[in-house]
Amino acid sequence: MSSLTIALPKGSLYDESSALLGAIGIEIPGDPGRRLTMKSNDGSAELLLLRPTDVPAYVEFGAADCGIVGKDTLWESERSVSEAVDLRFGACRLVVAARRSDGYHEGARYPTFLRVATKFKRMATQYFSERDIPCEIIALHGSVELAPIVGLADVIVDLVATGSTLREHDMVVVDEIAASSARFVLNPVAYRSKYARLSALCERLQRMVAS
Amino acid sequence: MRLPPGVRDWLPQEFAFKQSVEDRIAVVFDHWSYARILTPTFESYESLERGLGEKLMRQTFRFSDPLGEELALRTEMTTPIARVVSTRLRNASLPIRLSYIAPAYRYEEPQLGRMREFTQAGAELIGAPGADADAEALFMAIETLDAVGLADAQFDINDSAIVDGALVSLGLSGSAVRSWKAAIAARNLVDLDGFASRDGVRSERYALLRRLVVTRGTEDVLAMARELAMNPEAQAAIYRLERILARAAALGFGARIAIDPALLRDLEYYTGFVFEGFLGDLGFSLCGGGRYDGLLPRFGYDVPAVGWMVGVERILLALERRRIGERRSREVDVFVVGSDRAAMSERARGRRVRVDVRGLDRSAAIAYARHKAIPRVLIACGEEVEEILLEADERAL
Repeated sequence: MSSLTIALPKGSLYDESSALLGAIGIEIPGDPGRRLTMKSNDGSAELLLLRPTDVPAYVEFGAADCGIVGKDTLWESERSVSEAVDLRFGACRLVVAARRSDGYHEGARYPTFLRVATKFKRMATQYFSERDIPCEIIALHGSVELAPIVGLADVIVDLVATGSTLREHDMVVVDEIAASSARFVLNPVAYRSKYARLSALCERLQRMVAS
Repeated sequence: MRLPPGVRDWLPQEFAFKQSVEDRIAVVFDHWSYARILTPTFESYESLERGLGEKLMRQTFRFSDPLGEELALRTEMTTPIARVVSTRLRNASLPIRLSYIAPAYRYEEPQLGRMREFTQAGAELIGAPGADADAEALFMAIETLDAVGLADAQFDINDSAIVDGALVSLGLSGSAVRSWKAAIAARNLVDLDGFASRDGVRSERYALLRRLVVTRGTEDVLAMARELAMNPEAQAAIYRLERILARAAALGFGARIAIDPALLRDLEYYTGFVFEGFLGDLGFSLCGGGRYDGLLPRFGYDVPAVGWMVGVERILLALERRRIGERRSREVDVFVVGSDRAAMSERARGRRVRVDVRGLDRSAAIAYARHKAIPRVLIACGEEVEEILLEADERAL
């Protein structure tokens, strides 16, 4: 049987991803260090260690048969992969947030032309256009919460897990856009060509997260 | 000078490889007695639009002529063929079998396996309803991939009537059906679970549907489908799939074909049977097709049709990955110096002739032929023509 290639995100989802795979029998050596690929202990799976945002591309083109990635990454990626299992960990929410002093969370009106700083350009564009709110999206790559403080933007659209970062900067949630968590994703063709292994894997993962 | 994104040059060796694959495809089409057809690269947008779903409409290259008529490059060949059949071939006896190998154009992000100009090879069987016509499209696709050297390709088949029937039995209708089908087509089970609780579907019925759309198989899938999709359309579809499977098994294709109930190709276009061919080592499908009974009526000709197509560049990609290149055939059979008459008579015998245009002397001509691996040299000396045969082991390869 040909081996399965699984794309894993380095960074915040890595530990829980490897623990989950270990729990269903795909044991992975502890610390990947700077390795790009590894074999599972029993040799049945090849693991690709990727930047989280690269996981969808590897899976879409079939370089990996399946993978683990945050829903937040899928929102922005336009890649077509099958979302087979909601793995529940890595939970966070995508929210509109602003400085408490601006009062948007208490119903204060947005400026007529809203400036929005975000790492989630697609989701932010969709959210404001669905609500007919004219806005300018300022695409940033990190520390988005700085933008309203220095007057670059009126609001931000960003991920919130515990809310502590917002509190630290005296910011509040204005609205919730969507919820994210880690997903087990599949290449649709691989699901067909390696059906026996991948369908069994999905089923085990589904049972694992349901319990 | 740079090329715009999504198009490419085919240099001689690359083109020879592509040509050799297209030649093999053409032989299969010919053996199935599908006449080749060609339509214009561009035509009026109004005509092409009739075959376009929302996605293809956004991917169409559109432009206008100096008088303002809106034109478009074809995004695929089936719609132009439907136009031809419903107009110029309207009086031809049915069924009509047509095939094509031609470039098509789509505006999309160029990436692996997706170019803005690409070559499609395909076949249309117009005017025949029913499972036997569906099976013909499928078997022809299998034989085509076999002929180009991809005999390990797998084929998944389905009929959208099964999922339609299942959704009816869950009590769904209207926009809910559309969102459910989109999630099933993408095999997005996370969304599907969400829809089930949103739409309040009874959990034991939903569990059946969920099991159906994650299963790929043959008899087991049909058994589940029979239980879940009980309307007449779905039952008829199940019967047709059974017949296709039986015929495939008799041909020895049994192990290469499975039913995937979640295979729902382009929902705006296909009306029943669909299939897709794929390889284990390529992350996207190679070929696909199905029944599109709704297309010709849009051209005012109410006849059913089934067809399929394969992406030639995707075949090349698959062959290259397997290191199956076309073995280079000898490019030149004979090198002729100083005799137009000798050159003409060699060409008339079907040989590939290269004629000297640089006034080479005898030893330079032989050296050149050796260098280019040309096995024969003809050199005029007065009225005579001297023939020099170069032994294989003398030639630098």
